[in-house]
Amino acid sequence: MAWPIGMALLLALIFAGVPIAFAMTAVGLIGVVSIVGWHPALAMLGQVFFDSGRSYTLSVVPLFLLMGNLVVQSGVAGDLYAAANAWLRHRKGGLAMATIVACGGFSSVCGSSLATTATMARISLPAMRKYGYSDRLAASSIAAGGTLGILIPPSVILVIYGILTQQNIGKLFLAGLLPGLIGVIGYMIAVRLSLVVYSEHLETQPKLPLIDRIRALRGVVWALALFVFVLGGIYMGVFTATEAAGMGAGGAFLLTFMRGRLTLRATLSTLFDTAKTTAVMFFILFGALYFLNYVNFSGLTGDLRNWINAFGVGPYPVIFMIVLIYLVLGCLLESISMITLTVPILFPIVTGLGFDPIWFGIFVVIATELSFITPPIGMNVFVMRTVAPDIPLERIFAGILPFVALDVVRLALLIALPAMALLIPNSM
Amino acid sequence: MAASSERIAMRARRWLRLATAVLCGAFLVALTLVTVVDVIGRYLLSSPLPGAAEYTEILLMAIVFVGLPAVCLDDGHVSVDLLTAGLKGVAERIQLNLARLVVAVVLGLVSWQLWNHGAQLDSYNEVTVYLRAPLGPFAKATAVIAGVCAVVTFVMAVLRLPKSDGGGV
Amino acid sequence: QETVLRMSNWLPPSHPIVRDMMIPWAEKLKEASAGRIEVQILDAPLGPPPAHFDLAANGAVDLTFGVHGYTPGRFTLTEIAEMPFLADTSESLSVAFWRVFESDLAQAEEHRGTKVLGVFGHGPGLLFTKGKPVSPLSDLSGAKIRVAGNITNKLAEAMDMVSIQAPSPQSYEILSGGIADGIFFPVESVPFFKLETLVDKALRVPGGLYNVSFFFVMNKAKFDSLSDEDKAAIEEVSGEAFSRMAGQAWDAADAAGMDVIGSTVDFHDATEEELATLREKTQPMFDDLAKAYEAKGLDFEVVMGKLKDEIKAVAAE
Ligand code: NA
Ligand code: NA
Repeated sequence: MAWPIGMALLLALIFAGVPIAFAMTAVGLIGVVSIVGWHPALAMLGQVFFDSGRSYTLSVVPLFLLMGNLVVQSGVAGDLYAAANAWLRHRKGGLAMATIVACGGFSSVCGSSLATTATMARISLPAMRKYGYSDRLAASSIAAGGTLGILIPPSVILVIYGILTQQNIGKLFLAGLLPGLIGVIGYMIAVRLSLVVYSEHLETQPKLPLIDRIRALRGVVWALALFVFVLGGIYMGVFTATEAAGMGAGGAFLLTFMRGRLTLRATLSTLFDTAKTTAVMFFILFGALYFLNYVNFSGLTGDLRNWINAFGVGPYPVIFMIVLIYLVLGCLLESISMITLTVPILFPIVTGLGFDPIWFGIFVVIATELSFITPPIGMNVFVMRTVAPDIPLERIFAGILPFVALDVVRLALLIALPAMALLIPNSM
Repeated sequence: MAASSERIAMRARRWLRLATAVLCGAFLVALTLVTVVDVIGRYLLSSPLPGAAEYTEILLMAIVFVGLPAVCLDDGHVSVDLLTAGLKGVAERIQLNLARLVVAVVLGLVSWQLWNHGAQLDSYNEVTVYLRAPLGPFAKATAVIAGVCAVVTFVMAVLRLPKSDGGGV
Repeated sequence: QETVLRMSNWLPPSHPIVRDMMIPWAEKLKEASAGRIEVQILDAPLGPPPAHFDLAANGAVDLTFGVHGYTPGRFTLTEIAEMPFLADTSESLSVAFWRVFESDLAQAEEHRGTKVLGVFGHGPGLLFTKGKPVSPLSDLSGAKIRVAGNITNKLAEAMDMVSIQAPSPQSYEILSGGIADGIFFPVESVPFFKLETLVDKALRVPGGLYNVSFFFVMNKAKFDSLSDEDKAAIEEVSGEAFSRMAGQAWDAADAAGMDVIGSTVDFHDATEEELATLREKTQPMFDDLAKAYEAKGLDFEVVMGKLKDEIKAVAAE
């Protein structure tokens, strides 16, 4: 089966609402059967679903998810928003800016964008609605802020990128730090921008006395301690990035216990949610890996490379093309399948053009994030909608444009100044 | 008749969910402890936990596969609903159950091949490096779970069970 | 051309196995078959490294290579080429290993489902450390050492060291942070994994402290389906010819590695006394392997004797 047919079939199944993981496995299987025959194709199914999952490095996926979920259980996620609010509420659009800051803070202890979006939607949407923020601004600031989850370390996606490309995961984490911070600032600018663009008139809250603002920071200290423990441990080489996940989850257990929230019922529920999300993510990973084998057999990579050579384009047009590819794929896939399907194909091409492999990891994550908040569809917007089903898609997308604009600026900055990603890891 | 079988299915669904929650929870706590004990042991006692990486690998796969039935029961797989969200009534049910059938067939094939893979590993006496734990039986266990999930998803499609709220334990 | 053989490769294109073994082999095969057989190396691997033997055995790909130790328990006989004190060059070890494999080991059918095109080992293995003295041996007791598999794990145990398990790409991370004090590697791997600025001492023994045994295989059914001429072409460039080429490539890679680290790493050659201690402490490893040989109906002493004789013969060429 030629790869354009395979791609079309995959698209059809995904749009028909077949779960992404199983659509990829099914089309991959048909494709591989058509190329190497039944027996090897089926045997490879057993191998992919067993051998790929039994990976020591992938153990960070459930552990970083668990860490984030425990931070929610401990109440620290709510405290983060309260603290950001205390410092920003008297400014124009303060609650939306606080959402962005809290998203950034929560991202520093949670490895997934979807979890960041879902958590912050539950916490900050009611507050913003209460103070008369439009759904357009409220929902879009949450969806955009949530994308920071996979850029600011820890990040499940950067781990998978590191495994696929054999790059140092610790370095990838540190590389995400500065672009993540710039993302927070950019999105805060986007909030102000959207107030102007949509001429929203929001009443600002009275400024809190300094003592109250300082008191509000108590919750932040917990999250900061956990973040410094995990990142510091990696930076100082006390433990590996893989071990950092286990240590971080252990720390989150301790934190939840010290805040008196480690009850049996809540903990069981947290563990259960983590396990379910893990199973979902791994089956997506397995499906993507199997589909990738079909892509590999079908010669797509070679065709792509030949096109690039035939056009004789320079490095920057290729990078621009890659952004477009991500914007299209981001309408169909979520982050794990996107990274797993594209990185093995693009990585050799991009590094061959002289780009830094760590830098490309950050670039890919930002491009992936961007695709999740651009119309016509994107994962973060979906998650936003599961929490607030009454907000129509069009309204979220209308609100998101200023955020997309700032994302594009950030991406351009990253291309112009690779040091933005490489400065911190190179000091390791 | 249809109503009572649906009720039994719903009750089974609740019990299965609780059982997986307890099992997965234990595995996740163990997974955390393995790293913590390994790292602390390395620094304080100069003796890391022997075979820590292998416990980690095995626990990871256990969490993935034991968590799977709960995902299937909740129709919790990630899918794109841009075109299907507008479907109502019969059309919505047909779409849901056809999607379930695809999942059931794929899981059935995966289960069958995991079993074959396990048999192949058994025939080579394949073990892990340090713990010398045999891998064949382990692969067969994942095959059984995938098989159960295939059957469960198939039954849900045939009984046309409604989507569960995906709630907690 | 008439036949295309697909190969799954899990290493970067710059690795000696790909650059100096697989690609030259494919070129030689094309020549030997008068252009009838073409080898296509897939753009990406079809699975993680340990999955590769099965990928070829099940026919997902026609050709692949891998490390016997990645699938523990399956290949026990080939561990003989990984034992301490065997050979000073990869060429002598690899050619001798192939000869013994063909005469004695192949009959146990550990590689069933495939046609074995070559077996080989890398250059003599050493112990590299970062700031940790390697002599006297007692100073190494309790040192945390990254191990490469079953044999190095047993070796670490025999030398009273603590083994750290981590994938080889994580070598830099665990050494730079002090999680491990040292690592078992051949000379070539130190610059390959960019460890030249980290390690500063090395323990070297005649014949190497350990080795790693590799296979190069083809799907059996695919091989059987070929014409007699094509089979002959494959056999002409494989077997001993391939194992020799692989050995020479490893030796060249070791020499290139030595150019990088020769002046920065302090190599300590074990004294007679230290060698005696090591021999005594590693004896249980030999006893264990002898039992595994017995279980598969082979006499370990006889095969080991043959292997050593062949190594001497090749080294004397
Ligand atoms: Na994060
Ligand atoms: Na999009």
